[in-house]
Amino acid sequence: MNGEIVQNLKLLSPELVLVFFLVVLFTVDSIWEQTRKNFVPLAVVFAACLLGTVATCWVSKTAPTVFFSGLVANDNFSAFFRYVFLFSCAAGMYLAFGSKELEKQNRMEFALLIVCVTFGMSLMAISTHLLMLYIGIETVSILSFVMAGFKSEDLRASEASFKYFIFGAFASALMLYGFSLLYGLTGSLQYGEIAQYVQANLGNMPYLLPLSLILVYSGLAYKISAFPMHFWTPDVYEGAPTPVASFFSVAPKAAGLAAILRFFLDILSYDAASGSWKAIGGEQLVSVVAVLSAITMTVGNLSAIGQNSVKRMLAYSSIAHVGYMLMGILTLDTFGLGAILFYIIAYCAMNFGAFWVVSIVADLKGSDRLDAFRGLGWSMPILGVTMVIFLASLAGIPMFSGFIGKMLIFGAIVKTPGLLWLAVLGVLNSVVSLYYYAKILRELWLEGREPGTASELSIYHGVALVGLAIPTVVLGLWFAPVIHFVERSIATIL
Amino acid sequence: MIPASVQILHWSHYVAACLFALGMFGFLIRKNAIVVLMCIELMLNAVNLILVEVSMRSGHPEGLIFVIFIITVAAAEAAVGLGIILNLYRAKGTVNIDAFRELQG
Repeated sequence: MNGEIVQNLKLLSPELVLVFFLVVLFTVDSIWEQTRKNFVPLAVVFAACLLGTVATCWVSKTAPTVFFSGLVANDNFSAFFRYVFLFSCAAGMYLAFGSKELEKQNRMEFALLIVCVTFGMSLMAISTHLLMLYIGIETVSILSFVMAGFKSEDLRASEASFKYFIFGAFASALMLYGFSLLYGLTGSLQYGEIAQYVQANLGNMPYLLPLSLILVYSGLAYKISAFPMHFWTPDVYEGAPTPVASFFSVAPKAAGLAAILRFFLDILSYDAASGSWKAIGGEQLVSVVAVLSAITMTVGNLSAIGQNSVKRMLAYSSIAHVGYMLMGILTLDTFGLGAILFYIIAYCAMNFGAFWVVSIVADLKGSDRLDAFRGLGWSMPILGVTMVIFLASLAGIPMFSGFIGKMLIFGAIVKTPGLLWLAVLGVLNSVVSLYYYAKILRELWLEGREPGTASELSIYHGVALVGLAIPTVVLGLWFAPVIHFVERSIATIL
Repeated sequence: MIPASVQILHWSHYVAACLFALGMFGFLIRKNAIVVLMCIELMLNAVNLILVEVSMRSGHPEGLIFVIFIITVAAAEAAVGLGIILNLYRAKGTVNIDAFRELQG
């Protein structure tokens, strides 16, 4: 028994590393007050992410298992998302550390919050049990409310965190109702047991099972800000400090997608032989998800067009990107689902980059309106060029990672019978998105120089921008090994 | 595997559905932030009722454990939520959610 617990704890070591560093942060914060202003929090978070990555590498060598009585799973899929979260945690902390917006805040507290959120996201991605999923989601949610309102003296940030909180609490109540119905129907909280029961009793529960799945979806849709739970996104991203918004736009979304993939692929008993969901009429379910993803991307892109605040525009664009990613779920094969993971990697680099530029401009000009960007390409060439790369990649222009991600997803959709319309809609949406991304680029480069704005990009930010631009370009040209990697990651949960 | 009888809807599930609907209705129409928070608690208690009922009938302790976790997490959530509302109250002098309109596209 003891040996088994030790063995299981070893498989959980990436999370344990994060918990250990949480304790370190708590201790250092309480005994050494200067750390609230100096570089120590950044160093500790980097150490945590580095050790976490090493631990993830180490546990990913072991054979895939479900352990702790079916609560969590350790496989390549978990490992993939652990890497993504640890990277976002390090990048988010680096950005927050260099941002003027959070200069006066207690940095030690920020480090604590971001490491703890990363821990929660990790739990979301590895859980194979409804209780564990709930704990993961709430760890992320509750701490995200605090992060959104981190500048407590700023009214807009407080309002953003209030809206985030109200929607979050509502979404988690809906999700819990779904969980309780599922538990009532199947008598178990463990994914594998639920799946077995659902398969054995198909047709016995015509209304309650779909209802519970819809409720669970709405809870998870809140985390990835997909339709119909996307309303909070623009307000929260606009009000929250920019580094926090950039972290929110990447990491919790990846965690939500991980939870959605694991939950629906496990419970609806994906059937490799026929290539469809066996539970509740595969066809109907596919069309529901298709419509949801179509609405999500269209709403996101159309609302982004009229925005004047770049932060708000990127918030709507992040809704649209979730729509593209949801498309991949419909294909139900290694290729299409692997495309989602590839898209997450690409999105992670390019969206962080775009938000990073907004953060730098907001620090410089005190505004994130479109006209704050005027002529900055000429005075800060590195910022200008990297922003071109990030936005071109977000729009899906060839040569950049975003294009490969979209190509993989649309290619998989075209091969799925009856979903050609969705692929066409996706391409049309990309064209629409090109329009509003181009508006930012025009302000950056084509509106002439603003007189008297001699501003320089600090090396601190320059390194980060170049560091995010390199993967965006490289993944657009040299993608075969990465595709191999993501397909190997997704194969373990199919 | 649990006996098939558990699947049958118990009368308490209807009570829970009513409680949940009441909470949801309140959430959608009430304007006072504190009352909205209470409506969410009502929804969570509807969930707890179902979990306890199923757990008692099937004899699995999982549902009861889940209830304890929900109560604990809801307390943490309420603590953070009240903190946020207090912060807004200091700035605005009201907890009416219609007053929070700084962020609008």
